[in-house]
Amino acid sequence: MMGSNVGYFFTKTCIIAIPYDLLVLLDEIGFNHQNKFNNHAQMRYESAISGGPKHELVEDGNVLMQKYEFGKILGQGNFAKVYHGRDLKSNENIAIKVIDKEKVLKVGLIDQTKREISVMGMVKHPNIIQLYEVMATKTKIYFAMEYAKGGELFDKVAKGRLKEDVARKYFQQLICAVDFCHTRGVYHRDLKPENLLLDEYGNLKVTDFGLSAHTDCTRLDGLLHTTCGTPAYVAPEVISRRGYDGAKADIWSCGVILFVLLTSQLPFNDPNIMQMYKKISKAEYKCPHSFPPEVRRLLKRILDPNPITRISMKKIMENSWFKKGLDTKQMNDSDLKPHFEPKKPDFTKFNAFDIISLSTGFDLSGLFVGSDQKDEAKFTSTKPASDVISKLEQIAAGLKMEVCMKKGGLLKIKKPSESRNGPLLIDVEIFEITSSFHLVELKKSSGDALEYQKLFKQDIKPALQELVWAWHGE
Amino acid sequence: MGCVCSSGVKHTPGYEDPALLAKETPFTVSEVEALYELFKKLSSSIINDGRIHKEEFQLALFRNRNRRNLFADRIFDLFDQKRNGVIEFGEFVRSLGVFHPNTPVEDKITFAFRLYDLRRTGFIEKEELTEMVIALLHESDLVLSEDVIEVIVDKTFNDADIKGDGKIDKDEWKQFVANNPSLIKNMTLPYLK
Repeated sequence: MMGSNVGYFFTKTCIIAIPYDLLVLLDEIGFNHQNKFNNHAQMRYESAISGGPKHELVEDGNVLMQKYEFGKILGQGNFAKVYHGRDLKSNENIAIKVIDKEKVLKVGLIDQTKREISVMGMVKHPNIIQLYEVMATKTKIYFAMEYAKGGELFDKVAKGRLKEDVARKYFQQLICAVDFCHTRGVYHRDLKPENLLLDEYGNLKVTDFGLSAHTDCTRLDGLLHTTCGTPAYVAPEVISRRGYDGAKADIWSCGVILFVLLTSQLPFNDPNIMQMYKKISKAEYKCPHSFPPEVRRLLKRILDPNPITRISMKKIMENSWFKKGLDTKQMNDSDLKPHFEPKKPDFTKFNAFDIISLSTGFDLSGLFVGSDQKDEAKFTSTKPASDVISKLEQIAAGLKMEVCMKKGGLLKIKKPSESRNGPLLIDVEIFEITSSFHLVELKKSSGDALEYQKLFKQDIKPALQELVWAWHGE
Repeated sequence: MGCVCSSGVKHTPGYEDPALLAKETPFTVSEVEALYELFKKLSSSIINDGRIHKEEFQLALFRNRNRRNLFADRIFDLFDQKRNGVIEFGEFVRSLGVFHPNTPVEDKITFAFRLYDLRRTGFIEKEELTEMVIALLHESDLVLSEDVIEVIVDKTFNDADIKGDGKIDKDEWKQFVANNPSLIKNMTLPYLK
């Protein structure tokens, strides 16, 4: 039993999907000037390490871009090799990942955004491997990254299960790292043992954030288990290829990892891949008797096959077992780069279609009523959402109206009214277009239309003016 | 001007029987008749020829006949089923039917897909989505850098383009709307009920 698990841990066959966009971008910005590099020197280098890749950027034996020195190979997969390296300027240890573009392209790429790369390049979190630089040639991509001296976390687990406190510490660090990225719109989508490393002090370092994506391995040759390692960590909705929420999929993988840390066994395991899928889709797993009940409960909430009811990051972080002994310093962003604001309130994030659906061109109500008789109004604002809310509260107070906050940036403003149509209720919704632009929508949800229009025109609209960048449809 | 209509016999050129239109759409016969009154008003606001021209459409939506808007253009084009540059009465009623609160969501999803498929390729492509985002921002006096727009579009494609082939097909669109039902809120006009 144990043997087969260990086999998974050591299967180094991860595929790294690089977004086609990025490849194009890299080509566009001219990283492929091969003439700059000395191919003879490169040949020499290759003969020095057997089976080494063709480093077109390598010159003077083993130096990349005149900045990074190559060392011994640390690991290799079908598409990538990772080398130990040294930053010649700072003399720091680094890791250099070399990816064969052509092989990656052949597999068919998952369209991952350039943004994720660029975000990951800037992100600094104690539990995330930092990406220093991306370089590319026509055939290869090079990532210069933080070097994790402690190796893979799963080398440790393979020797036997971890003590509860130790497992929790790694789980806490994993959750903090993953949550940090989620709040920035970056999802890992491929959390698995190969991607969890340790630094020299034994701190967890998640790698390949924003680089990896779930690769559709079955398309390659139908032999998922041989080409892509194991689906053991993948959420059921990802396997069934439904459109999925990256955050919820990552949470599932974190649950599998927690189970493995505590038992050194996979929760879903079967030599038959179809049986494994079956177990995953039904979340069929057995906790050992030694598991404390609170761990069982937490795992049950994480390994929920329904992504919608599956526990959220926020709730995991509120869980009492999770919080035990948590170093709160890790939870806040204080030691991070200042250009990342603290976690934003939970406003509805707009996707591109949300944005275009706002167009007044879609609003056919003009065919039926005049523009001053509409029951709703929208404006954009460059002010922070908190300013919008406090302004609305101020206006409501002046009009003797009540404000209640609802989740997701929805406010309800209520005016008790004697009119026969009942109390006047106005819904205000705040949407985030970008961090510096919000869209605010006011809408009468019940009450007398005339009363609303009068109130809006005479009191609300003028008072809001200082927040307004532009009124929509005017 | 209006006195001619009072005879009640003369109909606009593309007139169709309200009873038949009511069968095809979520509207009742009397609602279709009411829509006919509205149609007569709209189609005579600039050129009194019983057909709605683009400028008349713009005038009704924006109180400004010269105000161009990419999305209003798209709506007009889809309303204009015969593609002869004007909206006739039958086209008007059938197309408005999509916006009726009782119309099945699938119809609204399909209509929105056709709206967003600017070049009628059967796919929503990245360039089309970018073009539409830019149009909307322009309409709202918002200026965002190209990078930011790209980020927004890429992020959306990441979520919507399940197959990862760089374009959104009908099935992907259906799935995406199922996950984000608010996207077709603008396909329903409460005034129609």
